[in-house]
Amino acid sequence: MDYVIETRDLSKQFGTVQAVTGLNLRVTRNQVTGFLGRNGAGKSTTIKMLLGMTHPTSGSGLLLGHSITDPKQDLEARRQVAYCGEDKQLYAYMTVKQLINFTASFYPDWRSEVAASLLDQFQLPPGRKVKALSKGMRTKLSLLLALARRPALLILDEPTEGLDPVAIEELLQTLAGSPADGTTVFFSSHQISEVERIADRVCIIDRGKLAVDLSLDEIRQDHRRITLSFCRQPPEHLFDLPEVRSIETNGSQMIVVSSHGVDAVVERAKTAGAVVVDIVPVNLRELFLWTVQDHK
Amino acid sequence: MMLLYKAWLESRARFLLGLLAMAGLSGVFVFFNHDVRTVVTDHDVSYAEYIWRGIFKGQLRDIYVVLTLLLGLGGLDRERSYGTAGHTLALPVSRWRLIAARGLTGIIETAILAILPASLVPALSPFVQESYPWRLALQFGALWTVGGILIFAISFLASVLFSGEYSAAIAAIILLVGYSITTDLPGMEHYIVDVHDVMNGSGPHGPTTLAAISIMAVATIWLAGYITTRKDY
Repeated sequence: MDYVIETRDLSKQFGTVQAVTGLNLRVTRNQVTGFLGRNGAGKSTTIKMLLGMTHPTSGSGLLLGHSITDPKQDLEARRQVAYCGEDKQLYAYMTVKQLINFTASFYPDWRSEVAASLLDQFQLPPGRKVKALSKGMRTKLSLLLALARRPALLILDEPTEGLDPVAIEELLQTLAGSPADGTTVFFSSHQISEVERIADRVCIIDRGKLAVDLSLDEIRQDHRRITLSFCRQPPEHLFDLPEVRSIETNGSQMIVVSSHGVDAVVERAKTAGAVVVDIVPVNLRELFLWTVQDHK
Repeated sequence: MMLLYKAWLESRARFLLGLLAMAGLSGVFVFFNHDVRTVVTDHDVSYAEYIWRGIFKGQLRDIYVVLTLLLGLGGLDRERSYGTAGHTLALPVSRWRLIAARGLTGIIETAILAILPASLVPALSPFVQESYPWRLALQFGALWTVGGILIFAISFLASVLFSGEYSAAIAAIILLVGYSITTDLPGMEHYIVDVHDVMNGSGPHGPTTLAAISIMAVATIWLAGYITTRKDY
């Protein structure tokens, strides 16, 4: 498998706060990978470590095959990576045109015709100062700067924040089509529905650790929510099985989320005298909530 | 080249305001020399001494020091507070190049601010039936440049050490005032050169002293660069 991002036991500590802990993340080339997590889970810190903005406390990582802990190699990787940060703040003192020309000067593969087309599509006024742009327009400009090249990897941190619904739709379509152009997309988002729409694969980070790394097909096909009803208080350790991702007990009712082997769960439940009320596929929202809310 | 352009855009408002202030005040000192002379010195001093006391050693030099301090402020820590550091650091350039571009731009601006009064004074003096030797004025321009670059470097370093909007400026001022007080202490002249005295020509200003100050300024900027490469943004 060809990975554009590969980290090994990547950790970052800020004082006493462990922002990222032993992260082993792998992002496959020519796919759209969604990076989910709660606020403060370590998403932005991970992205900053990948781009050399923040130095890892320990561990290592490869970005397009270049070591992220070696400044020279990381610089080489950045030539092929486009980044759109969560702040969406750009140089306020430049005009839109100045900023485009400034950014273009660093990339020999800059596509002026794409920049012109996006400028027109996003309705960005070239002569206006960046400080006079709305947040939505700044986001569009930031995306223009990222997309006007043909980067091997596009990293976006909360890309749809501040955009109107039409712009979100256009962006999602652009991102979904990027792998066909040879661009791998790795983006963090709080909007699970957006991730579910365009991502091929999902990584969920929780408290600095990678909790889920699955394709959306795997989630849809393999994960099931099993609702069980017991005539008395359910036994505590009934479902100590590796495939059980979470358990929530509410009185005599129990909800089990299983990644594989529904049969094993059902068999154990029936042995314990339970009635299987429902078995339904799990969607990404449920999986995310079950993962980060720690029901087990 | 585009990094120099960025550094210029970031500092141009401060620089142009400084340029305006230096030019305007130089003009005031020359054109209104009869009125200003009573304020800055005794009436009976020569025109050359009045210019020295008012400009090269006096108020204008102090203003120049403040302006060079302001030129040193900025950089990646300031960008972080504005939220633009991500865009800058994602560019395929090393942090050393970012530092070099900002340092070089600041040094050039510092030199221009120093040369301006040194050029205006001899150029404008004939309009008020006075004269000031070009050679002497440009000598002060060179001394101001060397001293100004060191002050710029101190402010540059403070900007890397203190990321707050005002804390870097305050830290730079405290460093500079502390340095001035230290050099004024009895006996300290044997150990530390007072850069203010170098700038006005009353202290040692031979090639060795100027070279030592220049090396110290470059080392300070290098230290700022080294710290920058190790910081998290």
